[in-house]
Amino acid sequence: MCDVCGCHSHGHDHGHDHGHGHGHDHQHDQPAGNEALIVDINRSLFAANDAMARSNREHFDADGVITVNLISSPGSGKTTLLEHTIDRLGSEIAIGVIEGDIETERDAQRIRAKGVPAIQLTTGGACHLDASMIHRAYHQLQKEAGGDRLDLVVIENVGNLVCPATFDLGEHQRIVLVSVPEGPDKPAKYPKAFTSSQVFLITKTDLLPYFDFPVEEATREALVLNPALKVMAFSSTTGEGFDAWLEHLRHLVNRRRTQSERV
Amino acid sequence: MHEISLVQNLLQQLRDIARENNASRVLRVTMLIGPLSGVVVDSFTFGFDILAREDDLFRDATLDIVVPSAIFRCSSCGHQEETDGERPECCAACGDRIIIAHGGDDLILQQVEME
Repeated sequence: MCDVCGCHSHGHDHGHDHGHGHGHDHQHDQPAGNEALIVDINRSLFAANDAMARSNREHFDADGVITVNLISSPGSGKTTLLEHTIDRLGSEIAIGVIEGDIETERDAQRIRAKGVPAIQLTTGGACHLDASMIHRAYHQLQKEAGGDRLDLVVIENVGNLVCPATFDLGEHQRIVLVSVPEGPDKPAKYPKAFTSSQVFLITKTDLLPYFDFPVEEATREALVLNPALKVMAFSSTTGEGFDAWLEHLRHLVNRRRTQSERV
Repeated sequence: MHEISLVQNLLQQLRDIARENNASRVLRVTMLIGPLSGVVVDSFTFGFDILAREDDLFRDATLDIVVPSAIFRCSSCGHQEETDGERPECCAACGDRIIIAHGGDDLILQQVEME
């Protein structure tokens, strides 16, 4: 049972379902005394998060919402991407945003200034968001949206290419961003962010004349790790190449709308 | 350092397991940490050393870590290579560069010894 809303989430079962298949190498009924007790557990430490992520995904699906999780280093343009996306799509798609940062409400304020509901999660030092944070934030976001239906929820993860890659949040798509000033070797250096994502965005392409960033090489490096990655390169500020990104989001949302109508 | 939150998760599981088994001390914990799990073994051990000392239940516990190999399979010819986590530059059999990891990303609490 969810402690925020009383909904039937499946993520709070940790500690209670690992009793199956224990191998007890001891006289089981008398654990007292100094006899050592060896118990086989064989349970993933990600199990609790993964269960909560599945529950989140069920929530999103039931609500007809598409959710994407943006992962990148700090400063690669996640919030700017969002601002320009809202400017261009805000009138046709109902967008909500969950912002993850270690401190400050700044990013959520930037998004609210665009007239879109936003929830700021401050992790107080933690380097990633996890599925239970998203569970709570999604309910808050629905409240902030005032009962209006959302089509698309964008989660902006904490700026970090390492830790967020390990935690499933229940998103439908994971999107990894690398900006031109960061250099083209990020896929090779941080493979998990790329192997676990479905989309790779190369941002700030307006700076290509000033940096040594061979787009083709970066694309190739990423596709070697994950041949199924969809790759797009654009500048949010000049708008060059941005239409492909907007079309990608439209496609995701329209597909979901069609599915919902069928149900 | 997401390893710290993973260690906290581990300790909570150990508390539950100890309670279920009426144990008052955890003596040994065996973890399997895949080389592609995104978890740094040294950071995990460091986190365990710091956090376990705060609770009498685990104060003297030994943490054993098993690190399995990662298996990389060539997407063209299916050739498999086992490594310590490093991705082969190209397939040793056919030279193709598209090599997909299979497994190696587990983080599993395998066994607990307690009294």
